[in-house]
Parts: sequence; structure tokens; C-alpha cells
Amino acid sequence: MSHLKFACRRRLNAQFELDAVFDCPQGVTALFGPSGSGKTTILNMIAGVLQPAVGRIELAGEVLDDRAQGIHMPPDRRRIGVVFQDHLLFPHLSVRENLQYGTRRPNETRVDFNKVVEILEVGLLLDRYPRSLSGGQRQRIALGRAILRAPRLLLMDEPLAGLDLRLKERILAYLERLLVEFNLPTLFVSHDQTDVRRLAERVVVLDAGRVVDVGASQPTVDRAVMRTQGPVNLVRVAHVRTADGHWEGTLGTQPLAFTGHDNAEGEATTLQPGGTALIQFRPSDVTLTLAAVEKTSARNRLTGEVREVVMLPQRAFVAVDIGQLIWAEVMHDTVRELNLAPGIRVTCLIKASAALAVV
Amino acid sequence: MLTTAEWETLRLSLFVATVAVAGSLPIGMALAWLLARKAFWGKTLLETAINLPLVLPPVVTGYLLLVALGRRGWLGARLEAWFGLEFVFDWKGAAVASAVMAFPLLVRPIRLAFAAIDPRLETASRTLGAGRLLTLWRITLPLARPGIIAGCVLAFARSLGEFGATMMIAGNIPGETRTIPLHIYTVLQSPAGFEEANTLIAVSVVIAAGAIFAGEVLERRSLRYRTSEVLP
Repeated sequence: MSHLKFACRRRLNAQFELDAVFDCPQGVTALFGPSGSGKTTILNMIAGVLQPAVGRIELAGEVLDDRAQGIHMPPDRRRIGVVFQDHLLFPHLSVRENLQYGTRRPNETRVDFNKVVEILEVGLLLDRYPRSLSGGQRQRIALGRAILRAPRLLLMDEPLAGLDLRLKERILAYLERLLVEFNLPTLFVSHDQTDVRRLAERVVVLDAGRVVDVGASQPTVDRAVMRTQGPVNLVRVAHVRTADGHWEGTLGTQPLAFTGHDNAEGEATTLQPGGTALIQFRPSDVTLTLAAVEKTSARNRLTGEVREVVMLPQRAFVAVDIGQLIWAEVMHDTVRELNLAPGIRVTCLIKASAALAVV
Repeated sequence: MLTTAEWETLRLSLFVATVAVAGSLPIGMALAWLLARKAFWGKTLLETAINLPLVLPPVVTGYLLLVALGRRGWLGARLEAWFGLEFVFDWKGAAVASAVMAFPLLVRPIRLAFAAIDPRLETASRTLGAGRLLTLWRITLPLARPGIIAGCVLAFARSLGEFGATMMIAGNIPGETRTIPLHIYTVLQSPAGFEEANTLIAVSVVIAAGAIFAGEVLERRSLRYRTSEVLP
């Protein structure tokens, strides 16, 4: 059953009209698309801050907006938590007062304050003021404030934008714990395919105010980015270990050497020996060969089967199943010369320095 | 020290200025909010009307008030019939004159303070379950507090100095409408007055300086959260 039903239209200016229809089940859904595609507009409408010109929004069977019937529930009665891109903490209130701002209403479901404080690790910040907090701290407070409202739906506008990689990892970890702990239906906006794949179960792809694709996160994001900037490979490896001064993990049955981000920055790594890690690399860093390769400088030689070949004007993308699906970017001539087609077995060469751990 | 008459004048002045500021503050805040946040037809006209007393000769403002609020004035006649309010030769007339003259000074800092608040903080408050009124009370007004304080202080100081408009509508009745400036003026009419006026002149300076000083302190206190690491 869908938790959220959205079908709204509104012209915002001469160039841009939002006209989107989609449903969200329980769980985590991402609104994915380039900037200016209408993602934030949709969040504002669901939050009740912006009214559709025509349309209807329904949450858990309750009508929030229905222009035909003249229904518009004000934002303060929707019980929808919003995490804004620039946090919007109240500068004249302490962290504690900010967190408790939404919890005052009686006769409503409450969320355990201490538990949220504990998960977000903000106990030491409670008496401080937003002005003195770092970006990551503000982000956590904004998250906590929205969750303490005990929302029926959590909306997040680019929750990870503008954070550096290390900070982003920490916020992601907090976010994942919160979503698991409180089992909150969540809709978040992002233009970053890695974040979407990591957090979302479902993706709604937007372009120029229209929904162009909906589906499970991995294949939908792949299709979407293929149309625009090209995909990024993200695979999960198990049994992480160090060997000969580099990191290695197991992907299916094959080993994959990669670079942990501790190497570059000299900082403590979040990689746990024996645990799992997410590894990211560009399709252009994947070389395809037909023959079994004996000696090569590339550490990784992973064999798999071609599943799909997508021809684009300038280049081609080849999907290879090496236990998980990865994309290789090749020239049109290569596709012809190697006779690349679904079912062909190939070897993927990937330099360890191109494969970066993101966890 | 102050004579009985001077005490009377001082007490009356403070009372009139307080009533003038307290009475015009709600209207001033409402108009400041409108001007800061809304676009509407006739906005420039409204701004002009509010600021008019700043440039009009006070005597002219006083005359216009006298015409409007006089017993046969279109407003004065109604206020007397409905509420029994009289303004001419009355301390209430002095309060209205002070309020009108000080109004531009009251509105301006408040308006600037409202304009400086990110309206999306109010949006955030709404999504956290606070209605319009609660949001106004807990977010907008506290954030505008420095501006509201500044407006009140300026208006209060200006009210204490009101002369021309007060004289026109309220006259110069000892103990009734004779405020500090009118008292000083009256005393200076007599040849021996220069000595006598000194006390009240000194009092004026002290009160004006004190009001501005108090305003600064209050403003700074409410600004403290913006810079301090922990609770003040």
C-alpha cells in the first residue's frame, strides 16, 4: 500500500512548470534529478509550504491537499518532519530548545528525546547555540529536531550536500541508524547517485518538472545517470583485509583490491578488517578484454558476463555481471571489435588506485 | 533640587511618553511587519504617511491633529461620543501628539528587524507543529527584539522632547499638559528664567542619555546568543 500519493501541478515561472505524479510506499524513497528539476518544489508541496495549482496529496490515507475540494492542511498540522538543506536552526534558541521545539504539542506520539540525543551524539552540545556549531553538528541537530516531532513522514532536502567526504560518511551513518531505529518513512532529495543508491530503496527520477522514471534504486539510478552524466560503479565487498600494504575485499568469489581513503589523508579509517565496504570507481576506469589475462599492471582482473550494451552518441556503456553489476565505458569501435553483446564472457581490469572505498 | 512644579512636569512627561510609546507600539509593529514582509497596493503611500511627521513642521502636525481630534473634528467627535475621550487641552492630546511625532522613529528599526529575519525560519517553525501565532511569539518577535527595543527607546526619547504638536493640541497647562520642553519654554519667557531652566535642561539630558544607554544594554543582552558559546 502506498504511504504517500502525490499528483500536483503548478507553474512556477515562464520556463518551469511542475507536473508530477508518483506514489511512495513505506521505506526510504529518493527524489533524484539534476538541479532545477523540481525536487525541492515537490518537498515544499508535501510539507504544505507551497500549494499546488491543481492536484492532490495524500498521506497514509489522509488528504493533505485537494484543490478540487478546496482542502489545504496547514504545515503545522501535517506532522511531516522537514530537514532543510541549510538546517534553519533557530539562532536564539539553544540546541536543547531547538531539538524540543516540535515536541511541545500534547496528545501526540512522542519520540524518546534521550534516545535521539544518544544516537546523534549531541549530548555535549545541548546548552550551546547554533552560531557556535560546525556544519556537521548543525546537520545532526536539524535531523534530531525533525525526528523528535514524531513525524509520519520525514522529508530531507539534499541532506548530504556541502559536506566533505569524511563528514558525509558520519552523517550517513547517523542517518542510517535513525532510519532503522525509528522506522521512518522517508523521502529525500538528492542529485548524488552514490547517496541515492546507499540510502534509498526506491527512486523517483525527475527531469524538468516531470517524473521520468520510478523504480528500485539501483537499476533506476543507473538508467537515469546513463542519460546524463554516465553511471558510477558502486559495489559492496566482504571480508575486508589488508594485504601487501593495500586493501582487499571479496566480491562474490573474486578478490578486489582497492584504496582506502585513509591512505591519502593519513586519517583513521572506518574500514573494519573482516567487515564489508562500498567501493566506487568510474566506468572509464574499467578495461574490458576477451582473453584471460596473465600479466598486467592492473591489480584487479574480474571475470563476468555482459548483460547489456547501451550505445550513446559519443560512447557506449557495457553492463557486466561480476557477481554485482558494474558498468564499463568503451568506444563504439570496441563494441564492434570485441563483438560485445549480452552473454559474452569478458574480463574487467580495474586499477586498485581507481577503486576507492567510500565506507 | 527640583521644585514641586518641576517634579510634576517630570512625572507628567514620563507618563505621557510611556503612554505614547505603549499605545503606538502594537500598531507600529503591525505596520512594520506589513512594510517588511508584504507587497500591496499603496505601500509607498503608507510609508509616506508614516514618515510625514518627520519632515512636516511639528506645528502643522499639531494643527492637523487638532482639526481631526477636536470636539467637532471627524475623529474627535466620534471618540467623544463613543468612549467619552477628549484630546484638546488634555494629557491624552499630548500623548497622541507625542505618539504621532515619534511614530516614524518607532517603526523604522522594527521594520528593519523584521526584514532581516529569514522567513524560512518561520516556515521551519510551522513544519515543527507551531501555528502562525505561536511562530510569531516564539520565533519572529524574539528575533526582532533588538529592533523593537531600539524603536521604543528612540520613540520614548523623541516623545519626551515633543513641543510644537503638543502645544497646538494640548496647550500648556501646568500639571495637565505641561511637559518638560513646554515647562522650559515657559520659564525662559521671564527675564529670571535662565537660571531656573537649568535643572530641567539637565534632567532632559540625563533622561535622554539614560534611555539610549538602557536601550544599548538591552539590545546587547538580546544579541548575546549570537556570539556566545554557551548559555548566558
